[in-house]
Amino acid sequence: MNIHNYEKIWLVLSMLLIIGFISTVVYGATAVGIEMVNDEGGTIDSTALDEDDRFSEPRVEKVGEDEYEAYVVARQFIFEPNPIEVPANSTVTFYVTSPDVLHGFEVVGTNANAMVVPGEITELTVEVNEPKEYGILCNEYCGGGHHTMEGKLIVVPEDEFELGDSNDE
Amino acid sequence: MSEQLESGAPTFLDKFPDEAAVVRAALWSSFIALALGAVFGLIQALHRTDVLRLIDSTDYYTVLTAHGVLMVVSFTIFFLVGLFTWATVRSFDRGVESIRYTWTWYGLMVAGTLMAVVAILGGFVPQTDISADVLFTFYAPMQAHPLFYGGLAIFVIGTWLAGADYIWTWRAWAAENPDERIPLQGFMVLTTMLMWYVATIGIAIAVVAFLLPWSLGLFDQINPLLTRTLFWFWGHPVVYFWLMPAYLLWYTVLPTIAGGRLFSDPLGRVVFVLFLLLSTPVGIHHQYVDPGIAEGFKTIAMTNTMFLLLPSLLTAFTVVASVEHGARQRGGTGLLGWLRALPWRNPAFTGMMLAGLMFAAGGFSGMINAGMNINYLVHNTIWVPGHFHLTVGTAVALTLMAATYWLWPQLTNRRLYSRPIGLAQVVIWFVGMGLMSNAMHVQGLFGIPRRTAEPQYEGFDFVASFGSVSELNLQLAIGGTLLFISTMLFVTNIALSAGTPKLSGIGQPLSEPLSTVDDSPEILDNLKLWFGIALVLVVLAYALPLASIIDRGGLLGPGVDPVPMIVEPVAATIEPTLGRLAAAVGSVVP
Amino acid sequence: MVPTMSGENTVREIGHDEFDPKGTLVLILVYFGVLSVMWVFMYFVEFLGNDLTVLV
Ligand code: HEM
Ligand SMILES: [Cu+2]
Ligand SMILES: [Cu+2]
Repeated sequence: MNIHNYEKIWLVLSMLLIIGFISTVVYGATAVGIEMVNDEGGTIDSTALDEDDRFSEPRVEKVGEDEYEAYVVARQFIFEPNPIEVPANSTVTFYVTSPDVLHGFEVVGTNANAMVVPGEITELTVEVNEPKEYGILCNEYCGGGHHTMEGKLIVVPEDEFELGDSNDE
Repeated sequence: MSEQLESGAPTFLDKFPDEAAVVRAALWSSFIALALGAVFGLIQALHRTDVLRLIDSTDYYTVLTAHGVLMVVSFTIFFLVGLFTWATVRSFDRGVESIRYTWTWYGLMVAGTLMAVVAILGGFVPQTDISADVLFTFYAPMQAHPLFYGGLAIFVIGTWLAGADYIWTWRAWAAENPDERIPLQGFMVLTTMLMWYVATIGIAIAVVAFLLPWSLGLFDQINPLLTRTLFWFWGHPVVYFWLMPAYLLWYTVLPTIAGGRLFSDPLGRVVFVLFLLLSTPVGIHHQYVDPGIAEGFKTIAMTNTMFLLLPSLLTAFTVVASVEHGARQRGGTGLLGWLRALPWRNPAFTGMMLAGLMFAAGGFSGMINAGMNINYLVHNTIWVPGHFHLTVGTAVALTLMAATYWLWPQLTNRRLYSRPIGLAQVVIWFVGMGLMSNAMHVQGLFGIPRRTAEPQYEGFDFVASFGSVSELNLQLAIGGTLLFISTMLFVTNIALSAGTPKLSGIGQPLSEPLSTVDDSPEILDNLKLWFGIALVLVVLAYALPLASIIDRGGLLGPGVDPVPMIVEPVAATIEPTLGRLAAAVGSVVP
Repeated sequence: MVPTMSGENTVREIGHDEFDPKGTLVLILVYFGVLSVMWVFMYFVEFLGNDLTVLV
């Protein structure tokens, strides 16, 4: 098979490009420490969320120094709790699940963006810094009211933060 | 002067009138789907940007389902079977073995499409309980009317039979020409169809084993992650199924139109073999941010996906080089000055070139989508439709339309109604898509979601890092309107061509490659071997992820009870055996 | 089949051995450059520069 020299050059460059892309992603995963949503969130009976002590009462809990867990239910067409309040400069792990259909969990304008699948628990950990308000929206079609499905993530100053605020409503 | 001077050669219609009728029918089915899809596309573009809201926002999702299904199932695949029938018959230079068989699979595809479309459009009619507002991805546990799943199944069966038709022709030809290499177009058709057989295993299982019986009420639980994964098992390779007709045209027709010859036949074959091997074991890249799938499986899918860039990058070189060859044969000179010597007034040529240019841009956003962790940035934002309107929505759609300007006279013995309108049409598409897709990409980076009737929220605003959201909305709406106009020009031009006088001797023979198949090893044509390897790769990529998903959630859903059997009256009378089968399966699932 | 038939506008036939696609090489190298720069921009500026990255 005779391949033109230019085509050989391009073949080599293409391979470099591909390897370059893969290396960048691996760099992100290792050096930066970006983790993909994976199978570690575990499964749940989506028909009986109220029997699970995390999701029967969606809320934020403190689990360590500057470490918080947020148990979030995404359902047609709301997020619970709403708003989700966490203190500034902390590490927050979201556990999100759905009792009905697929949803998306997107903290608007950020990299916190994942699918929510009934029966599965989506687990994602982020670090929040200064006090700030973020929007949350559902980015997977979930029915006729999909476009109304929104929520809020409020990062409050550490000294103003009180647990339980978020499930007052 | 004119590219369509009469060559005196017979057309496809002259040589194969029966087959030409099937090809025309398939192409017309495709164009009707395109025209309807464009109406829905326009409604979406105006609605979600709040420029003009003609419908209720709940109905937006019925519209979107219709747009998705009509465009990426009906428009593309009907064109594909028409084109492949043409390419098979043309390249093996023999008619189909049984024209009744050929009409049969075409009929099945039409029937399937009608069933699915009726189910979808039923969503507009509140009086019926028929509806399928599930979008073209139909993720369970959202449920459509059984007619929708049944229609899809029948449509896919039609495509399987079409593939068998091409194989049949090939085998009959091979029996008479035992020592000959498979002609290039035939080779491309066959490898693409083999890829399709591998790919459709996923959708067939999802629909026939789970969704259809579930929608009939034979069981009432389902494992959403399982059916979603099976969907994407098919959902990525289908992307290449849409793309391969465009590649076939770029490799085998474009060089001739450019006045040149294909740079390398063997490399074309290598590219199609790579697609057969690598298209399927990558689907998990649509699930990078899904729960329930280990990061390792996602990483494997990413690596495969990145290597799948290779055949497309090689194609870029080969196709451009073939065009350059044409330009130089036409007297073009200089390092880049040859670009001026090309037949830019020919809508078929210009359309395909613009399509290729947009594919280069779409290739880039695809590389971003493929990069596992960067997917957090763009997943399910409108960036993604921005990407695939460049790929399937332009590289494929515009190539198919442009090629029609060349192919249609071969199928009808009539000239195109108007070449200038054709030229305007492809340029308008290019401009319209430039605007719409650019706006979508940029909006996606602000986090604006796709598949959303009113991406305007009460509690927050999107922060635009450049431009403004309303400016971009306007750009999207104008782009969508231009695309709609372009589509209508195309369909009208083809329809009016029926009124031009009949001609004879307007056949356009295709030029021979510069580097011919004789330069390539025979093993390239060993389709059994490649098919076998493709199957092995799929098993390697999917066995463990699927096993783990079933292990986590059960075959029929993650509920506590071993699948309660609720057989509704209809179902009970239709398929009692299937019901018992499902119960048996259910009882062995944890 | 007309073996080398390639249109009426052909002013010269160019065979396999006399053809070096120089222009193609230039175009594709430009594409390579654009891809590399855009990738770096998207990954390191748009993505890693973004808020709330999901970490282990
Ligand atoms: C007439 C020109 C077109 C217009 C104005 C148009 C417009 C749109 C718009 C605005 C969306 C986004 C809707 C949303 O996510 O909210 C969309 C989605 C889509 N379009 Fe188009 N489009 C056109 C042509 C095409 C073509 C030619 C194809 C493919 C061959 C295509 C395939 C799709 C698909 C698959 C979706 C996604 C559907 C979904 O998310 O379920 N479109 N289109
Ligand atoms: Cu939603
Ligand atoms: Cu894909």
